[in-house]
Amino acid sequence: MKDKLKMQVTSHYRILRSPARGGGKSQARKKLIRNFLIHFGIILFSIVCIYPLLRIFSVSIRPGDRVISTDLSIIPDSAALLSYARLLKETHFLRWLWNSLIITMTTSFIGVSLASTAAYAFSRFKFPGKKFALLLLLSTQMIPAGMLILPLFLMIMKLGLINTYLGMIIAYSVSSLPFSIWILKGYYDTIPRSLEEAALVDGTSMIGAFYRIILPLSTPALSIAFLFNFTMAWNEYLVARVVLFSSKQYTWTLGLFELQGQFITQWGMFAAGSMLVTIPVLLVFLYSSKWLISGLTLGSVKG
Amino acid sequence: MLYSIYEVIWFFFIVAFGILAIEGYFYYHFKFYDRKWFLPAGAVFFPLAASFACAFFLDAGYSRLPAHFLYFFISETAILLFFRHVVRGRFLLPYLLMAPAFVGLALLLAYPFFFEVYLSFHDLKLTTIMEWKNTGKLPFAGLRQFVNVFTVPPLAEAGFWKLLIRTLLWTFINIFFHVLGGFILALLLNNKIRFKGIYRTLLVVPWAMPQVVAVLAMRGEFHSQYGFINVMLAKLVAWFPFLAGLGIGPVQWLSDYPLMTCTLINIWLGIPFMMVVILGGLQSISSSYYDAADIDGAGYFQKLRYITIPLIKPVLMPAITLGTVWTFNNINVIYLVTGQSGGTEQADILVSALYKAAFTYNRYSYSAAFAIVIFAILLLISVFYLRTFDAAKSQYER
Repeated sequence: MKDKLKMQVTSHYRILRSPARGGGKSQARKKLIRNFLIHFGIILFSIVCIYPLLRIFSVSIRPGDRVISTDLSIIPDSAALLSYARLLKETHFLRWLWNSLIITMTTSFIGVSLASTAAYAFSRFKFPGKKFALLLLLSTQMIPAGMLILPLFLMIMKLGLINTYLGMIIAYSVSSLPFSIWILKGYYDTIPRSLEEAALVDGTSMIGAFYRIILPLSTPALSIAFLFNFTMAWNEYLVARVVLFSSKQYTWTLGLFELQGQFITQWGMFAAGSMLVTIPVLLVFLYSSKWLISGLTLGSVKG
Repeated sequence: MLYSIYEVIWFFFIVAFGILAIEGYFYYHFKFYDRKWFLPAGAVFFPLAASFACAFFLDAGYSRLPAHFLYFFISETAILLFFRHVVRGRFLLPYLLMAPAFVGLALLLAYPFFFEVYLSFHDLKLTTIMEWKNTGKLPFAGLRQFVNVFTVPPLAEAGFWKLLIRTLLWTFINIFFHVLGGFILALLLNNKIRFKGIYRTLLVVPWAMPQVVAVLAMRGEFHSQYGFINVMLAKLVAWFPFLAGLGIGPVQWLSDYPLMTCTLINIWLGIPFMMVVILGGLQSISSSYYDAADIDGAGYFQKLRYITIPLIKPVLMPAITLGTVWTFNNINVIYLVTGQSGGTEQADILVSALYKAAFTYNRYSYSAAFAIVIFAILLLISVFYLRTFDAAKSQYER
């Protein structure tokens, strides 16, 4: 027995020290080539991903007489901020941004807080109707997007909330709830129960364990859910189009559409507006991307 | 003074809810539900007392007494059953945790949904909508709308079956490339490399960008004269003239190949989401599996096949299910690309046809029935997915 074990260990040792695994010049070169290929691939994909954004940027800073051209350079000759100035001066653009921000932040907060507790129930408890409720959640995602607009509009009208923030918030707040619950449930499932059991032994309640242990550990998933809610509400325009009708209450999607309708050839102003709208979303992403992916649970179990 | 029916309903709703809350608090605080008198008092005495109180204090009259008794009896019994089986049971906490989310879903998803079902069995269109607005009456249509869905095309040219095939094709191609692209990018990003954070940020841009802006920007790139793709194609042909002989050159993307354009744009939009999900899954895989495989002398693709893919399956399957549903339901891309009015209908899938039937052609009840048919198709697809997901999960846990 002991001999067998010894033999195994030595053979493993040999494998670990073999030239195919570590050390050696060819290995270093191989690694270099591999790294280069990885970087090359990622950079290629990155360019594909951001090129349209750069194009919009370049259109937005083109001088007024050359907005439409076959020019592919990112910084055009005689760049100017004329489109931005016109956008801010001639439209309610800032007001549209403010409207969108209020509606979006409120709905995201409501959505994530509702989802976080519900997902906890699904992840940690067994109760009658659990499977049915999960199926119900999934089936709500299958309701075609254009389907609920008409009945929702009638409801909001009956409540007297047409053309208000509250009406929009009501219409949006649950729309991405099922997805948030699914994502959070999936994440809670990966957090080992031993953490909570330890907390329960230390004398906290189930709610306390949820609040003190599960929630802090699941910041990556919570931020994904929040971002998801945020982008959903920020980009929405089908519901906004029926609920809001006065130009001052518009969200930016409606505003930019109106811009496009009013000035058919004014790509410059549209591009400027698009840039200003895209920036806050990108900033939120930049700020929270460090939470998006991390090995938090792994670390906390190992100690 | 005249109250509208909705104000009255809301008033009663709020009052009833308040009474329930107070009553529930007392039950819970004093643990009345453990007492012997709880059941008879709750089911008989309280409703009796409440209905007499209504007759006395609210001047409702004794003729309404049985109706009031029935109302209080039903609501009290509901409360009792709630306390017996939920509060006293072991399941109070999960139900309480779930309650806010499900109340919201019931009011803002379930209620509109059933209203839509109601519409689909009636006849609401441009000629009947004014009468419906004023009197609330709708002509009953039975199953006629559902027959119409399969016989009358929703748009000028394409019928239901053609749209269905186009939609299935659209969904399959999109999801395939989303998962493939997301997987490749996640594998690339999961290495120990420099500038990882920057790359991740750049790669997530299409998802982070507002969809309206992203789609319209991409649409600009497909413009026949000024778009990047055609400009590059023209330059390629200018540099290498033999390419023109092979039929390569600038193409009228938006008018000749609208569905292909939409597909390319949607693939570009959807990859980052899959990438983030798969990357999350990859990072939660313990490195000890790979160390063990290394010691056993496994190659790269063997590790991929036997460790990575089985271990991210629990993360991937729900994402694919949801992705399928979203792609199937994607109005935005097609609607923004093919234009609001007078645009081509060659790229329309089921949901965008539904939207156009409802809001361009104003066929409300028809589109309600159409929506329910689409809903049924989606239900079938995802029940199938859920089955496979369960199978995958049990295999993984074994």
